[in-house]
Amino acid sequence: MSQVSLLYAAAVLVVWMTARVSSSRPFRLWIYLAASWLFYFSLDARFLPLLVLSSVFNYYYGRLIRRQPRVGLLWAGALVNVALLGVFKYLPALRPLLSQSPFWQHVAELALPLGVSFWTFQALSYLFDQYRGDDTRPSMGEFCLYMGFAPTVMSGPICRVGDLVPQFRAPFAGSWASVREGAQGVWVGVGMITLARMLAAGHGGFGVADAFALRGTLGTADAWVMLLGYGFQIYFDFAGYSRLVIGVARMLGFQLPENFDRPYLSTSVTSFWQRWHMSLSFWIRDYVFLPLAMSRREVWWRHVSLVISMAVFGLWHSASWLFLLWGVYQGLMLVGHRLWQQLRRGAAPIGPRWLRSGASWLLTFLVIILSWTLFRAEGASHAAGILKAALIPTAGLQLPGGFVLLVLGLVAGYFASQLAVSRVPQRAPGLLSWLPMPARFACYAAIFYLAVFRAAEAQGFIYAQF
Amino acid sequence: MDHSASHARMIEYLKTEILRDPDAEIEPHTPLVSSGMVDSFSLIQVVQELEKITALRIPASKVAPRDLDTVSQMFATATRVGMPR
Repeated sequence: MSQVSLLYAAAVLVVWMTARVSSSRPFRLWIYLAASWLFYFSLDARFLPLLVLSSVFNYYYGRLIRRQPRVGLLWAGALVNVALLGVFKYLPALRPLLSQSPFWQHVAELALPLGVSFWTFQALSYLFDQYRGDDTRPSMGEFCLYMGFAPTVMSGPICRVGDLVPQFRAPFAGSWASVREGAQGVWVGVGMITLARMLAAGHGGFGVADAFALRGTLGTADAWVMLLGYGFQIYFDFAGYSRLVIGVARMLGFQLPENFDRPYLSTSVTSFWQRWHMSLSFWIRDYVFLPLAMSRREVWWRHVSLVISMAVFGLWHSASWLFLLWGVYQGLMLVGHRLWQQLRRGAAPIGPRWLRSGASWLLTFLVIILSWTLFRAEGASHAAGILKAALIPTAGLQLPGGFVLLVLGLVAGYFASQLAVSRVPQRAPGLLSWLPMPARFACYAAIFYLAVFRAAEAQGFIYAQF
Repeated sequence: MDHSASHARMIEYLKTEILRDPDAEIEPHTPLVSSGMVDSFSLIQVVQELEKITALRIPASKVAPRDLDTVSQMFATATRVGMPR
């Protein structure tokens, strides 16, 4: 826990206290906006003007679309936003294909504005919603706050204007109950991020990144342990971050959409994509899949639309063949699940229910864990090597024993905790509230210990790069 | 076709073709999409059935899942954005 984290915590407290004592809604709005822009400035001062410019442009463009809902106008506005992403996010990735002229090399070296993929997708959803005739009519200040809202501006959850703006207009809702609820979310988030950083730091100086840096022939056990390590690192990292920011927003009285719902417990790929990075998944569903799939009536086209939508999902992360393949793989798995459901429709069930559920869970888990190869590998040949080792039984273990134990221990601990949670009735809201008081305090103490003493070795937040 | 008959026809379609459970309890205000009962893939079929029942064409770019969350909302949306076929 760094000094910077404490400074941000103090800033949240100041904003909460100011908003609590203020009875003026416009004053609160401007306090939130000033705090949000200051937060963004503190993280990436260079690109605050870009965020403000994008907010102002999209605000006026949205108003124009509302007055003249023409499809050409909508696509022109969408194109401007996609072009913004293209310049900052995709051109640098396409560097090897660009001309060697100094201008293009300059463009290719542009830094990525913090959270640009997240707030640009929020801007796009606003334009689409205005075209659809959404009733929400934000003011300029409300729209700028929606775009730059401190809890979400860095890495989501990707919100919709219809969800946030009414909350900006409502009376201050940061009660003691919401502070307590939010604080619990923050603790759990910090705990999850700490687990992610333990996987990054590893054991004896050997972490997940070192496992992926191994070259030479990998054994099957090597491949699955490193994929498990990465799969849980990215989950703890991003789900923990999401829980933390949702908690901070809750403390201030705001309800943000959930981003993760125990995705590794899914018993189908379809269910996984309703529980992993939900705010992006639902964005893709609403603004890519549905318009595309509804444009033709044939069933095969729905399958194609699903694959295209997941390819867009993959490319949202970065313009690389591996992310494209990762998206296509997920799309094909979704289509495969759909076809399997159709095939089995009306057929007698095979085996007892617990066996069917267990087999479905295991298959889903393996399919998803295997897919992290394409997400994390450093190139096509690297990915091919990992996939070959994972799928063709090969003896040998290159990974250090301490790292293997750390990964397997955390994975087993995660599933054991989920099993425990599922067996204890939820008596009160809050993630740890089902635990008896001493156990709850032990958890908070453990999180604090790990956050202070282990996270110091940490690497950065994975999703910040997107 | 009157209002309630249209609703009843859609509810019957949802039970038999989408959920495949004739005993499912669906009322005009039962959340279908937000509750996970109807997934995005099945929603396409539901929209096609809605077009059939209302004899309207529903432009893809004008609807969002939240507009189709309940049977009542589906017909309200069809009235709002539907165009004669």
